[in-house]
Amino acid sequence: MSEFLHQLTLSQGALLSGVQVTIYISFLSIIIGTAIGLVIGLVLTYAPFLARLPFRIYVDAIRGTPVLVLILAAYYVPAVLGVSLDALSSGILALTGFCAAHMGEIFRGAFQSVEKGQTEAARAIGLTFPQTVRYVLLPQVIRSVLPTWVNTGAELVKGSTLLSAIGVGELVLRTQEIIGRNFMTMEFYLVAGLIFLLINLAIESFGKYLERRLTYA
Amino acid sequence: MGYTLNFSSVWANFDSLLWGLVLGLFMAVCAIGIGFLIGIFGAFASQSKSPWVRGAIGFYVSILRNLPLLVLILFVYFGLPQLGMTLGRLESFIGALAIYAGAYLIEVLRAGLMSVPPGVVEAGRAVGLTQFQTNLYVVTPIMLRNALPAMSSTFISLFKDTSLAAIVAIGDLTYQARKINVETFRVVETWTVASLLYIATCVLIAAGLRALERRYPRF
Amino acid sequence: MTDTTSTALLEIDGLHKRFGDLEVLKGVDLNVAEGEVISIIGSSGSGKTTLLRCVNLLEEFQEGEIRLEGEAIGYREVNGVRKRLPDKDLSRQRSMTGMVFQSFNLFPHLTAAENIMLGLRKVRKLGKDEARAKAETWLGRVGLAERVDHHPGQLSGGQKQRVAIARALAMDPKLVLLDEITSALDPELVQEVLQTVKELAAEGATLMLVTHEMAFARDVSTRIVFMEQGLVAEQGPPEQIFGAPKHPRLAEFLGRSRT
Repeated sequence: MSEFLHQLTLSQGALLSGVQVTIYISFLSIIIGTAIGLVIGLVLTYAPFLARLPFRIYVDAIRGTPVLVLILAAYYVPAVLGVSLDALSSGILALTGFCAAHMGEIFRGAFQSVEKGQTEAARAIGLTFPQTVRYVLLPQVIRSVLPTWVNTGAELVKGSTLLSAIGVGELVLRTQEIIGRNFMTMEFYLVAGLIFLLINLAIESFGKYLERRLTYA
Repeated sequence: MGYTLNFSSVWANFDSLLWGLVLGLFMAVCAIGIGFLIGIFGAFASQSKSPWVRGAIGFYVSILRNLPLLVLILFVYFGLPQLGMTLGRLESFIGALAIYAGAYLIEVLRAGLMSVPPGVVEAGRAVGLTQFQTNLYVVTPIMLRNALPAMSSTFISLFKDTSLAAIVAIGDLTYQARKINVETFRVVETWTVASLLYIATCVLIAAGLRALERRYPRF
Repeated sequence: MTDTTSTALLEIDGLHKRFGDLEVLKGVDLNVAEGEVISIIGSSGSGKTTLLRCVNLLEEFQEGEIRLEGEAIGYREVNGVRKRLPDKDLSRQRSMTGMVFQSFNLFPHLTAAENIMLGLRKVRKLGKDEARAKAETWLGRVGLAERVDHHPGQLSGGQKQRVAIARALAMDPKLVLLDEITSALDPELVQEVLQTVKELAAEGATLMLVTHEMAFARDVSTRIVFMEQGLVAEQGPPEQIFGAPKHPRLAEFLGRSRT
């Protein structure tokens, strides 16, 4: 036990930098992915069929492909097309693309489930379509999307572990490096698991807090 | 750009991709099978009167849903041997995925269980069925049917999760694709074909389960 | 009494509306002058609600013209081709009329006052304080001064509908369209809403309402319009429509409504 504590102290810095990279990756992908997802959701709900089609194909293709395949593709493909991306950027690109498709579908569902009367009432008082989206639909959609959105955040934290496969120094890769030095396999995978658990439980309670704050009677 | 598509080396290795896909489906079926048993058991247990049982189920679900699958897989494969439990690559992967699947399926089936109208249970008891018989013949079929849409997306996710087998060097579709990618450098072709195979399989699974949904209308 | 021969506020000429193969409006002609209170009656499926929704441009229509203060709304001719106006123009024209819906359609995320302020601020471009003051005035007029900062979820059906009426009226529309506004209410809440409408009518607002409340229509209207199978079958002052209906279907309809 004391040996474990000693090793834990030695690896503190490595674990911490792993956590930072994990959070950095997840944060960037959820923010950018959600913004793109919102646009996708709007197009899927309100655009005419032909404009919708490429977005539909994108969403279905991404959702039918494992995240690890997206990550590997984002890692290997850009180079042969003459774009140089480092492993970290490739990984963020893949997770962002995944998040965008996922959130796009969630936003579509949410926009479609807002009662038709809301749009009609907004039009009846003379709001334009962008104003209707901004002031009437979005506030309602955000509330209904929130639980799933927070959940997606936790999914992205979990998904970010797959970036270890392309050599991004997030928490899993750092843990593997530590284990390579001290051979305390079980102990350090448990530590990593515990850290992930803490991160995701924190996200979960943040989500509950947001939900409480945003509910209207 | 200057990249010209050439699928010939991918076609030359197409059989290894297909076998990889079959292996992935096999792992998914095994893990879902075990996970399903955990799910049914856990869903009923979550209705238990004992707060300890309910707490244990809640703990299991909450831990596994918040843990990255990769960490679980690595722990089972590399960590457990330290306790003297040495499992083969494939067994340990299927085991890890099954434990993971169990947590998700408990959630899904619990929601299905909650959707069973209480009157039906009372009617079952009223005709003289025991509690166990009521659960078996009345509650379970309704629960399964109502949980079917959610189960189908869980199954599809779990199938996609078999791609993680590549990380512990099991020769599934993703592993084979990465191998072809590295050996032939036909990068775009390899990943296009690999994702199309995944997409097609997901579409087929979804279509199959949707046919099942149509065949048995919701209660 | 209003002089109905003066230039009409609203002119509907030969309005045709089709949903696919189904023709709902088959050439409706109707003029409404300022200050008139028009009740549209008729059996369900006669096209009453659709007519109202066309006037508010919530529905597209295929033939005919609707003019508001002489301006054709919804469409324009470009090189002989009839074209739907862009979103911005439609919004401006819609804001000239107010609409109150059967199902209230209040914005659930906004308080009563904010429901009213949204259009005032974003369409009428009023400042926040001015919009707030106006919203409070209107909520007072519909008897909801105490409910200014309540969310729709905290209001009864009748209160919701009165907020919706205030929301429409606060925009100072030329014409207010009321679509079966008491149909979704519990019977004991109907009167408070009808009373609000009566007060508006007494103050000279121009109203066009679709209703099943015959006694109310008779009481409040300056003119009754009876619609039958997508056409205006008969119209006239309430005494004439209810006292001496000419159209056989109108007589039959009134007979059924009385039971």
